[in-house]
Amino acid sequence: MRSAFRWRFLAVPLLVVPVGWLLFTGLGRDPRLIPSPLIGQPLPTISGATLDGDTFSSASLLGKPALINVWASWCTPCITEHPLLLDAARQHAGELQLVGVVYVDTTEAARAFLARYGDGSWPDVLDPSGRIALDLGVTGPPETFFVDALGVVRYRHVGPLTSEVLAEQLAAIGIGP
Amino acid sequence: MRRLLVPVAALGLVILAAVIAGQLLRPAEPSSAAEQAKQLAAELRCPDCQALSVAESRTDAAAAIRREIAAQLAAGRSASQIRDHFVARYGPWILLQPADPLIWLLPAAALLAGLGAFGWWLRGGRTAGSRPAELPAPVDEVERRRVRDELEALDG
Repeated sequence: MRSAFRWRFLAVPLLVVPVGWLLFTGLGRDPRLIPSPLIGQPLPTISGATLDGDTFSSASLLGKPALINVWASWCTPCITEHPLLLDAARQHAGELQLVGVVYVDTTEAARAFLARYGDGSWPDVLDPSGRIALDLGVTGPPETFFVDALGVVRYRHVGPLTSEVLAEQLAAIGIGP
Repeated sequence: MRRLLVPVAALGLVILAAVIAGQLLRPAEPSSAAEQAKQLAAELRCPDCQALSVAESRTDAAAAIRREIAAQLAAGRSASQIRDHFVARYGPWILLQPADPLIWLLPAAALLAGLGAFGWWLRGGRTAGSRPAELPAPVDEVERRRVRDELEALDG
């Protein structure tokens, strides 16, 4: 049986290659980057008190594209992405709505963060218990959701935004450069 | 193939016994809401630490999920409704035990395939492959008689 002889040599690569490939690709992956089940779904309702003492409801966002940015004063990467958000708000004023979700933080600390790094004066909904973030499937700040004019979540970015991601995903929700 | 029947049947019995034992040893349905909340929390992955369940983790997100479980139980929602609630937000990733039955069947299938291959190798593969060539040619009657005669000559 010569075929059996050859099969035995084939069996080794047949086993090793797929298992090695699985380990190689699987272990290198960041589990936080699993696509959000919210993509293509309507944005869950976000409502609550804001940093300015107003109340906010995401129902008011319908009709214009929006960025939902989950942040906290204790979150260091949030500092690096903050100038990008300020830029985007300035550049697309009137067509893009920004909303912050202040994740597990105190009002004082959040206000101090904005005083120090710049206040774009968009609504910042307070989420001291993490309840709102839970509805968004947030694993930790910063996370940013790109929502189109119909209120559908188009993209979720985990970690600090970059200008490339911001430009690309804003274009995808109908905000031109 | 028939020789394989016994080990395969034995393996099947072992698996069946394990499943039955698992069912018998399974913790009883939780009675109080607190116990039910704890059990649910143990089934969910903590979103900001990954290797721990929500029940074990001390992070803010885990605490928020525990509160949410308690609130939903108090509102009269069932365990599976609550599980679905979190899967809809975080994806099936949030479940520590995969819900897809295929994932549980795969290791058993791999074990069976391995045993099958081993059985094949023990039976046909090895003997049909290299062994017969190494076996000496059968001894014929003439040689047999000569060996007997010489042995008798030695004894005598």
